[in-house]
Amino acid sequence: MSHAAQNPGLHPALRFVEDIGRKTVAAIEELGYVASMLAESCYWLIFGHRQQQPVRLRNIIAETMRIGVHAIPIISIICLAIGVMMAIQGIQTLKTFGAESKVIVGIAISITREFAPLIVSIMVAGRSGSAITARIGTMLESQEIDALRVIGINPARYITAPLLLAMMISIPALTVLGDFMGLLGGGLYCIIELKITLAIYFERCAAALSWTDISQGLIKSLAFAAIIALVSVSNGFQVRGGAEGVGRATTRSVVMSLTFIVIVDMIFTYFLNFA
Amino acid sequence: MPAAENSEYAIEVQHLDAHYGERQILHDVSLNVHHGEIMVIMGGSGSGKSTLLRHLLGLNIPTRGSITLLGQDLARNSEAEMFELRRKMGVAFQGGALFGSMTVEENVVLPLCEHTELDEKTMRIMGRMKLEVVNLAEFGDLMPSELSGGMIKRAALARAIVMDPRLLFFDEPSAGLDPVAAVELDELILRLRQAMNITIVVVTHELESAFKIADRITVLDQGAILMTDSVEAVRNSDNPRIQSLLNRLPRDDAIDADEYLERLTGI
Amino acid sequence: MECTTRLENGFTVIALCGEVDLHFSPKAREIILKHLQDKNHVLVDLSDVTYIDSSGVASLVEGFQHARTHDLKFALLGVSKAAMQILQLSRLDKVFPIITHAAEADQL
Ligand SMILES: Nc1ncnc2c1ncn2[C@@H]1O[C@H](COP(=O)(O)OP(=O)(O)O)[C@@H](O)[C@H]1O
Ligand SMILES: [Mg+2]
Repeated sequence: MSHAAQNPGLHPALRFVEDIGRKTVAAIEELGYVASMLAESCYWLIFGHRQQQPVRLRNIIAETMRIGVHAIPIISIICLAIGVMMAIQGIQTLKTFGAESKVIVGIAISITREFAPLIVSIMVAGRSGSAITARIGTMLESQEIDALRVIGINPARYITAPLLLAMMISIPALTVLGDFMGLLGGGLYCIIELKITLAIYFERCAAALSWTDISQGLIKSLAFAAIIALVSVSNGFQVRGGAEGVGRATTRSVVMSLTFIVIVDMIFTYFLNFA
Repeated sequence: MPAAENSEYAIEVQHLDAHYGERQILHDVSLNVHHGEIMVIMGGSGSGKSTLLRHLLGLNIPTRGSITLLGQDLARNSEAEMFELRRKMGVAFQGGALFGSMTVEENVVLPLCEHTELDEKTMRIMGRMKLEVVNLAEFGDLMPSELSGGMIKRAALARAIVMDPRLLFFDEPSAGLDPVAAVELDELILRLRQAMNITIVVVTHELESAFKIADRITVLDQGAILMTDSVEAVRNSDNPRIQSLLNRLPRDDAIDADEYLERLTGI
Repeated sequence: MECTTRLENGFTVIALCGEVDLHFSPKAREIILKHLQDKNHVLVDLSDVTYIDSSGVASLVEGFQHARTHDLKFALLGVSKAAMQILQLSRLDKVFPIITHAAEADQL
């Protein structure tokens, strides 16, 4: 039933306002749902053992394999390529000022602060976020979630909590990998173009980087991990309407994750640099 | 036999109303099931059988009325009490609801892993014993997607009984099965009750299956109970709705012309 | 729910009693396996068992399997009607040696 149909006599302008109001309420409701999901997962992670219903290590490991370990090749390739591209562009741009040797500083800082966490999160959102939504949606439709509940297995403990934890482990770890591969990619181009050795390149990287650069990236990656986990799980649990519903939720999940990641990235970047 | 339950009935449902959103699905449903009884909930498609079952399982919360399982009121139970109660009930869902990421055997053993501290070897033997009961002994290592419809239902049954429950719920055991597989499943249900003395609630729209296994039948129609009685009494009932269900006749209500036109034209 | 054991006829007779359920069967399993590991022939006496669930039966299965692989004798004694039905459900009545008196153990 469409919302407009409920009030057929309403003036179009009013209907528009009504629509906005309804959507705002829905958004706040969803936010509340996500918050309670986060709280419940943390509860099971901390107190599950005491209730004799622990979050299973086996589930956490399985999810970490799927989200993290299996993403290693693709993350490596992409970050390497990004590093190469940054070196090419950087050297091209800085050549005009005759400052191409400064490219290393640029690469080192932008990879660790920005690109590695962002690229890793975007990849994981596309790769695992969508899969998580689809999986949970399918489980809901096939009554597997009901089956869990009647067995006495709380879905938040069995599904959400391991995913959240696995995400919080995988994305920072992949970000460290991305840092390294990105720098390596930049280095491979620099040793050709700037005629330096890889050892010297990494030495200069180390000189250019401080711990805050790396930790900034890692803090962001933790936030992105939480976003991906919560968005993809909550979209999965809201699936209605069969296979088509699963498809819709999957798309929504990825788009939402990416949007939030970029917005949160902007906010974090601002506060981490100026506040 | 485990300690006798102190309540007279295994399942008591009183004045249950249920809604999906605004729409009322169940109307004042009351129902009692004795210990060790096989109660069949029968009714046409869309009559609210699955909805009633979901309420019995504590998956949905009723808008009115109470449900008591083994003497425990679902609405008053704490989380921990509910967890304890769930050990004593097994459910086989309509589509099986086996976990697609686990083998059949892992599916069957899962409730044991979550509820008991038994040795892993003991659990495995228990799981295989139940697969033996439902004639799936050789198929434990397969994934659910590799099973046929009848095998999925039997695997789901094995998982439902792996904890030796006191209550067993079974949604549409024979739906979508060939007649032979359906009869086998009915016989299995009877054997289970005989050996384990479980209280069994079966939801079905298949008459033959209902008549074969039921001690008593509850007939549900458009969300309300038409009658709850023995197989004989239901068979011989002169209620026209029940007769039309038994004779597979389509619905034949009197039509209110005004109301009908209003529905069509929206005026 | 105490198990008593006695020696009879060259067998260790382990008498289980009460309810052999999820709580008790780990202990029953331990006792049965311990006697088998000590290379004793074992009779499990179920006459005083009021209820046995599948975890109890699983423990018996494990014991029997252990006995067979170690060339020991193993049998069930005094199986009640209710216990028999549980065994029949998974056709284990055709697998276990089942006797009614300890004296029959000679023929095993
Ligand atoms: N999740 C749901 N949301 C809204 N309506 C539902 C839902 N599930 C079932 N219904 C409606 O409730 C009625 C009873 O459905 P159900 O209990 O599944 O019937 P049965 O199992 O007897 O076929 C049907 O009209 C159906 O459309
Ligand atoms: Mg149904």
